[in-house]
Amino acid sequence: MTLAMNVVQVLLLILMAPLVRGVIARLKARIQNRRGASVWRPYSDLLKLFRKEDLVPPSASFVFRLAPIVVFTATLVVAAFVPLLHGSALLNATGDFVLLVYLLALGRFFLMLGAMDGGSSFGGMGASREALVSTLAEAPFLLALTSVAIAAHTSSIAEMVRWTMGQNFFQFSAVHALAFVAIALVAIAETGRMPVDNPTTHLELTMIHEAMVLEYSGPSLALMEWASAIKLTVVMALLIALFAPWGMAGSLSPLAIAIASLVLLLKMTALVAALALVESSVAKLRMYLVPDFLGVASALAILAVVFTALMR
Amino acid sequence: MLSVPVLTLISCRWAKARALPAVLLMGSLAVGIAVAAAAFYGGQKFVIDVSQVASFSFALSVDRLSAFFLLLICSVSLPVIVFSSSYIPRHYSGARRHWLWALLPLFLMSMVVVVTASTLFAFLFGWELMTLFSAGLILIDGDSEERRHSIFVYLLMMHAGAAAVIGAFLLFLPHAGNFAEMRASATSMPPTLRTAVFLLAFVGFGTKAGIVPLHLWLPRAHPIAPSPVSALMSGVMLKTAIYGFVRFAFDFLGGGPSWWGYLVLLTGCVSGLLGVLYAIAEHDLKRLLAYHSVENIGIIYLGLGAALVFAANHSPVWAALALAAALLHCLNHAIFKSLLFLGAGAISDAAHTVDLEELGGLLKRMPLTGTAFLIACCSIVGLPLFNGFVSEWLTFRSFLAGSEMSNFSAAIILPLAAGVLALIGGLAAACFAKVYGVAFLGRPRSREAAIANEVPLPMQAGMGALAAACVAIGVFPGLVLRSLGKLTAELLPGAELPQAATSLSGILPWIALSALVLVASIAALKRTKRLTATWACGLPGLNERMQYTSTAFSKPLRKVFSQVYKADRTVEVVPDGTPYFPVSISYRSVRTTSFEKSLYRPGVDAIVAAANRLRQLQTGNIQIYLLYIFAALIALLVFMRFV
Amino acid sequence: MGLFETAAAKALASSGVFLFMTVLLIAAAKRTSTCIALFSVQSLVITAQIVAASRMHHLREGFAIAALVLIVKVIAIPYALHRIVEELKVPRDVSSSTSSSQSVFIAAGLILLSFFAVRPYAGVLGGDQAMLAASVALVLTGGFLMISRKKALMQVVGLLVLDNGIFLAALTTTFGMPLVIEIGIVFDLLMGVFLMGLFVFRIRDTFNHVDVSKMRRLRG
Repeated sequence: MTLAMNVVQVLLLILMAPLVRGVIARLKARIQNRRGASVWRPYSDLLKLFRKEDLVPPSASFVFRLAPIVVFTATLVVAAFVPLLHGSALLNATGDFVLLVYLLALGRFFLMLGAMDGGSSFGGMGASREALVSTLAEAPFLLALTSVAIAAHTSSIAEMVRWTMGQNFFQFSAVHALAFVAIALVAIAETGRMPVDNPTTHLELTMIHEAMVLEYSGPSLALMEWASAIKLTVVMALLIALFAPWGMAGSLSPLAIAIASLVLLLKMTALVAALALVESSVAKLRMYLVPDFLGVASALAILAVVFTALMR
Repeated sequence: MLSVPVLTLISCRWAKARALPAVLLMGSLAVGIAVAAAAFYGGQKFVIDVSQVASFSFALSVDRLSAFFLLLICSVSLPVIVFSSSYIPRHYSGARRHWLWALLPLFLMSMVVVVTASTLFAFLFGWELMTLFSAGLILIDGDSEERRHSIFVYLLMMHAGAAAVIGAFLLFLPHAGNFAEMRASATSMPPTLRTAVFLLAFVGFGTKAGIVPLHLWLPRAHPIAPSPVSALMSGVMLKTAIYGFVRFAFDFLGGGPSWWGYLVLLTGCVSGLLGVLYAIAEHDLKRLLAYHSVENIGIIYLGLGAALVFAANHSPVWAALALAAALLHCLNHAIFKSLLFLGAGAISDAAHTVDLEELGGLLKRMPLTGTAFLIACCSIVGLPLFNGFVSEWLTFRSFLAGSEMSNFSAAIILPLAAGVLALIGGLAAACFAKVYGVAFLGRPRSREAAIANEVPLPMQAGMGALAAACVAIGVFPGLVLRSLGKLTAELLPGAELPQAATSLSGILPWIALSALVLVASIAALKRTKRLTATWACGLPGLNERMQYTSTAFSKPLRKVFSQVYKADRTVEVVPDGTPYFPVSISYRSVRTTSFEKSLYRPGVDAIVAAANRLRQLQTGNIQIYLLYIFAALIALLVFMRFV
Repeated sequence: MGLFETAAAKALASSGVFLFMTVLLIAAAKRTSTCIALFSVQSLVITAQIVAASRMHHLREGFAIAALVLIVKVIAIPYALHRIVEELKVPRDVSSSTSSSQSVFIAAGLILLSFFAVRPYAGVLGGDQAMLAASVALVLTGGFLMISRKKALMQVVGLLVLDNGIFLAALTTTFGMPLVIEIGIVFDLLMGVFLMGLFVFRIRDTFNHVDVSKMRRLRG
């Protein structure tokens, strides 16, 4: 029964991802005084792309078509580590938060390779910028997760979630507050949202993630877009699970699961609304100010780690 | 029993025949692998003792630690020799080929002697021979002025390191004959003497390993050697230095105060960061790989430092984990670094250059080489399902355990070192995305790259074997981890590898299996594909010069870390007076590593200045020389009288 | 009422966390209005601390002080500063000599320093150790803001943060000063802010900017 629940969690993450994207786009449109497309639009986009054919440059090698598959698979495996409705996940091992970070790195590595294989300037430009952003984002991400792991005296994400659920809601811990802000800042950089990267831009010179998928079409592009949406949803779910998991089902009774689903919906809506608000109110950072932005995240993460020893 | 040295000596005499040296060498390496595996997995001990026959103390023994490194040497050298059995005939002929086939077995033999030595004499014998034979192998490729200067720097630094190592050994007098005696006498040494031994060993072995700031010889020597030799030097020779350091710090001295560990940790952090930062700025593939060796040695030192800190804080379990992580990274680095250098050799064979700016699109023309190189790139970056990830994960896990120490500074420094390791990993990913993307993907940037052909079968076989090893250890780390646990239990008494280490080997095969199933099922979905040219914004067509070059790719990172690089830039405008109508503008940017400018040059200048002042003693007047001799005699008489 | 009590008590017990967050955010902030808003949030947290301390120790005047602080520091002064910023019509960014991430690193270092400075008194304070450390951190950060920010208005904000820190330190160690002194300090502050407001306009009219680092010609 637990196994079925975990599989349901993974499927929920995968299938909910385009909806999350759609809702963010719709909210942003409303804030900007437009009507906006339907929230189900990303689903119809994906279906349309899957039916089209793949356009491949003649000079490209097998890496070009392999990259979207590897990116999608890596993101899928990452989704299997995050508890959503109850305090356990499909894949579980000690020290798996390192595995999670490095699986995301695997996806990113092949994303950069696929971009370079297109043979155009924009692919190289996107890969080069992504190299800068992801290099500086990986250290604060890992450090913040380390501080949460140290505070919870465990190194498995599912166990960290269970530990936090057992904590008192009103006793704010400095470690968790700092780690939350650090991961939120890194999440913006990792998932390519404003103010680091504009996901809806049409100007190639301002793209980071979009420039890397510029040459893809058809099912490959569908896989890339879906993987990007899954990554955003997984990072949000991780933030919720690590820092505000109260409401998750303790037992596997239908009532508990129903309550957990409702609470999850509320939390995701809150995060989505916050993201839409932030995206609509800040301007995109100049690229050489992004290291500064990530430097703030690094400082907070380092402080979080030091606090784990101070607050003992 | 240890027939490797004997067979290699025999094979080098038969250098005249074509295939025979390679086959004999492979055979003797296979024997070496068998011996090492028996000792490492089974726990048997082998001993060759010459001192009963002759009068000098030369003895070789294989205990678990030696067996691990012997296994490393032999199993990594075997594919390299397979590779060179085809590479050497293609690029060298006549006397140079014979010299290569003569020196290669001797080089390997000297490394075997170093890791299996059990007396001081044997160890130093092998140590010096290693330097000598590798210098000879480098010289075979040519001896222009620049190459001779690089070899000179290499020999100089190696001898300085050897001097420190000899000093460390000599401090064990009068027991410095036998390793067993040294181990026994170390427990009764006073702390200051132990510290002196540790520091001398640290400096001596560090010079050979290539830690910053003693790394200057690495980017000079490794790129100019023939590719298989570079593979052996970078993959295997550096590990003998790690063997020496582990032997001294853990086996003889048995750990020490925490500041030893912090020193090693700091060295690891600095080496790792600076190594990868310098590598990012390179576009010569072999120099880039040499700097990455510095980085990986830094990562190994991070693990060793953590082990020393844990040992000093009386938690042998976590010390064992950190030590196992460092040793596993030695093995992994040997495998994937050799594979990378062999790949560079294959590239230079096919495209006649290793300059990244001239390559491109090689994956389509050399699919097997490209795939093997891709596996090596994924391994060195530390991506899951490849072997680099396993050792980095173990290192992370040991840093995480550092937070449970009651010692306050250890509880803070060790987790923060995890952040440094993450930063190093991120930078390595950026660098190798650049390397693979520029060299193998996209379109060829020069004519040679456009007509490159796949390399012959033995070269492919050598690379393929190493790539298979990368994936095997990456998916089934238990192959090596269980016996590494027994090894660390011997080195650090009372330590068993914690459960944490083996949990990873439980989950990785499942992830690999599910990933394989997913990838295969998605790839099998029928997706039609149509070949169309890349959109060029309406311009007549993309040419290969519109792609990102290696220098362009690394520019954002170089700009962010500009404090590290400090390039000297000069811009010359001809004619000088009128900037608006120039005839030519030239831009020159020279990067000397900061250590040369700030550390070595003042030292060198000071020594040269002192030597100049001393030169005044050499007046050329014979009577003054006689005066010196008589003055020394008179001073000696006075000294003897009054003391 | 019971749940609210315990919730409020626990939240106040960890209000040190809030103050550290405001310290870091004020160091990272890029706009003057953000800094002023963060200052009013800080003052709000301190007001809550005063209320909690008054309830625990049954001090009647505590509530009066809390009301005073609420009106002056949370509402009046920030409102006045916001009006000044609007009327001044200078660019809204905080001209700082250190970049955003450098400021956050320095602020983090100051927080760690304040923890180490407070350690010897850990036995006496017990649970209030985080509070005292927060107050020292506020003082140091106020000083850092005054040193590194070049706009004249940011000098005022730095001074206000510094005063918040001293106030909190007094609150933690002696549960507040006598009412008369508190009222005196608060009104001094109010006067100071109004005077500064007047002067900032004079500076802007004379020099056409409010950049303090460029006012070197005022030496003898």
